Amino acid sequence: MSTATVTESPSEVLVEIRDLVIGIQRTRADRLILVDSADFDIRRGEILGLVGESGSGKTMVCRSLIGTLKRRSATIFGGTIMFDGMDLAKIDERRWRSVRGNRIGYVPQSALTGPNPVMTIGGQLVEAVRCNRNRTERDARKRAMELLDLVHIRRPEVVYDQYPFQLSGGMRQRVMIAAALAQDPDIILADEPTTGLDVTVQAEIMKLLREIRTEFNMSVVLVSHDLALIDDVCDRLVVMHGGTCVEVGSVKEVAQNPKHPYTIALNRARIELATPGTQLITIRGNPPGVGEWPSGCRFSERCEFVQDDCRVGASPPLLEVESNHWSACIHAGELGAASE
Amino acid sequence: MMFGFEKGTTQVSLSMPPADVTDIAADSTQAGPRPQPIWERILRRTGRAVIVAFWVMVVAFMLIRLAPGDPVSAALGGEASPETVAALRTQLGLDVDPITQFWKYLWAFTQGDLGSSLLSGVPVTEMLKTNLPVTLWLIAITVTMTMIVSIPLAVFIALVRIPALPYVFRTLTAIGLALPSFLVALLLLYQFGLIWGIAPIFGYEPGFPANLHYLWLPALVNCVVLVPVLSRVLYSSILDTLDEEFVETGVIRGVKSYRFFWFYVLRPSLAPTVVLLSYMMGVMVGSTVILESIFALPGIGRELVTAVSMRDYPVVQGIILVFGVLVVFLSLLGDIVASLLDPRVKLT
Repeated sequence: MSTATVTESPSEVLVEIRDLVIGIQRTRADRLILVDSADFDIRRGEILGLVGESGSGKTMVCRSLIGTLKRRSATIFGGTIMFDGMDLAKIDERRWRSVRGNRIGYVPQSALTGPNPVMTIGGQLVEAVRCNRNRTERDARKRAMELLDLVHIRRPEVVYDQYPFQLSGGMRQRVMIAAALAQDPDIILADEPTTGLDVTVQAEIMKLLREIRTEFNMSVVLVSHDLALIDDVCDRLVVMHGGTCVEVGSVKEVAQNPKHPYTIALNRARIELATPGTQLITIRGNPPGVGEWPSGCRFSERCEFVQDDCRVGASPPLLEVESNHWSACIHAGELGAASE
Repeated sequence: MMFGFEKGTTQVSLSMPPADVTDIAADSTQAGPRPQPIWERILRRTGRAVIVAFWVMVVAFMLIRLAPGDPVSAALGGEASPETVAALRTQLGLDVDPITQFWKYLWAFTQGDLGSSLLSGVPVTEMLKTNLPVTLWLIAITVTMTMIVSIPLAVFIALVRIPALPYVFRTLTAIGLALPSFLVALLLLYQFGLIWGIAPIFGYEPGFPANLHYLWLPALVNCVVLVPVLSRVLYSSILDTLDEEFVETGVIRGVKSYRFFWFYVLRPSLAPTVVLLSYMMGVMVGSTVILESIFALPGIGRELVTAVSMRDYPVVQGIILVFGVLVVFLSLLGDIVASLLDPRVKLT
């Protein structure tokens, strides 16, 4: 079950994301906002889950932490991402090169297309090991072997010379984790790292991520829409909806004492809680489309506890409703009774 | 996908035995099977090429005999006396049944003899020795020119993000595709040869740098058809590649730009283009017949036209055999290059 012990005594904050706004500049005057007011911390040694439906902006937030928003023609319009005295929201490409790969590792979404298909596993790992650093070929090779060993790949000397298509999905994802570890980063970003893998392999990968966290005291940011998975491996949780963070807290807190109607609805819709023979519980309506956000709370149109004051003004900000537990619901205090 | 090129069709752990979740070393840590060495696959393909060549021989032999008329009537006309006809038939070895003729032909072939022209008496092998290089050079120059134009063009259109450019590109390539090559040949010959006088209208000179002068225009005609096809395929496969996640991984690793361009952009995109080019070259072998006639090049294509109209059986059979082998060889070459570029391409 969840290892919530880490959050009992809040540890060092590694990354501080404040009021982050991400969007696409379509024309000079026309901005399409994808994420606004993302607001959370990443602490050292924790596994932080980032959950939300498609289009909630979780991938964009993840990309802003690795500096590849431009590839998706998106830009940061405001806010700060403080990391080790730097504001990642503002640094230039040259500074990014010393951060991405080196301080922040990245595990891609799909095990199938994550590794480069035309390079051997060894070649790719050596590339990751040498990333912006001067290391001899032999040194890099030795380190690559170490990395393969670290992610429990048997016979690394064979795998070293193989191409990704010769490996199973699980192995490929192990290799990608090894590549992300190459520079001993402080943080590993894993954007739905188990997409397309079957459940047993998925569990293995998650176990590996936890092991790595413990061994190197790294932080892991796990983007997912699988709540069961998040429950199992994460310490803290950020729930996103309609481009904003709606609830932040420890997994235990959020699961047992949710303070936002969206989280309540998510919890209720979990498939493992369904009673056989009854209809599955869903959240009514669709997630609000990008650019079609309602005024006030963006969940108001789907919320069963909605009141008139929910629909006016700007999207409500995150407020600390309990110690280390934030919610963006203006009626968070009344929810406890209502959700029973 | 087309042409046996399987991009990303990989089965992920479907054949996996049910594993205990706690057993971390179950499957995702095991190395996969080693692939066959490349020479073994090349050998198998060559073996298949030999079989194809045999059937090309059979078909060429039968087809030309199914055509109305024969070399005797073509040479003597309808007025000759039956005795003369019979004598000539015996002399040419056409008085026995076709099956026996074929076995004779096959036996001679194993001795390296393709027979001699019924009209001039020149051995077919001699004829190929002088005429085949012209055709091979035409193909080689066409491939080179096509690659030199298509690759930079496709890369440019895909990487330089000018909004209107892809539309212009698609329109122009569609026009290029729609033009019949004999028309292009005549128009270019008229413009370059007659009006500007920068290309010879006919003639040929053997030997590499010298023949370039006579071959660049016919090769250009081929390019008008080939470049649109290839640059379009390469363009869309570069776009596909750029969308893939490993490109992002490369960005994150800070791969140097020239390495990035080769390993993360061009090389993963090239395989379909190379395979397609080799198949298109097979088609082009056929079109050399038209081009060599229009440009009066002494290649085997033009020789074939004459031989067919004169029912010169050994020459027709010899040239069709060469064409068949050429097509098989080109597609083998394309597959080998593609699989060297992209290990996902299987040589089957």
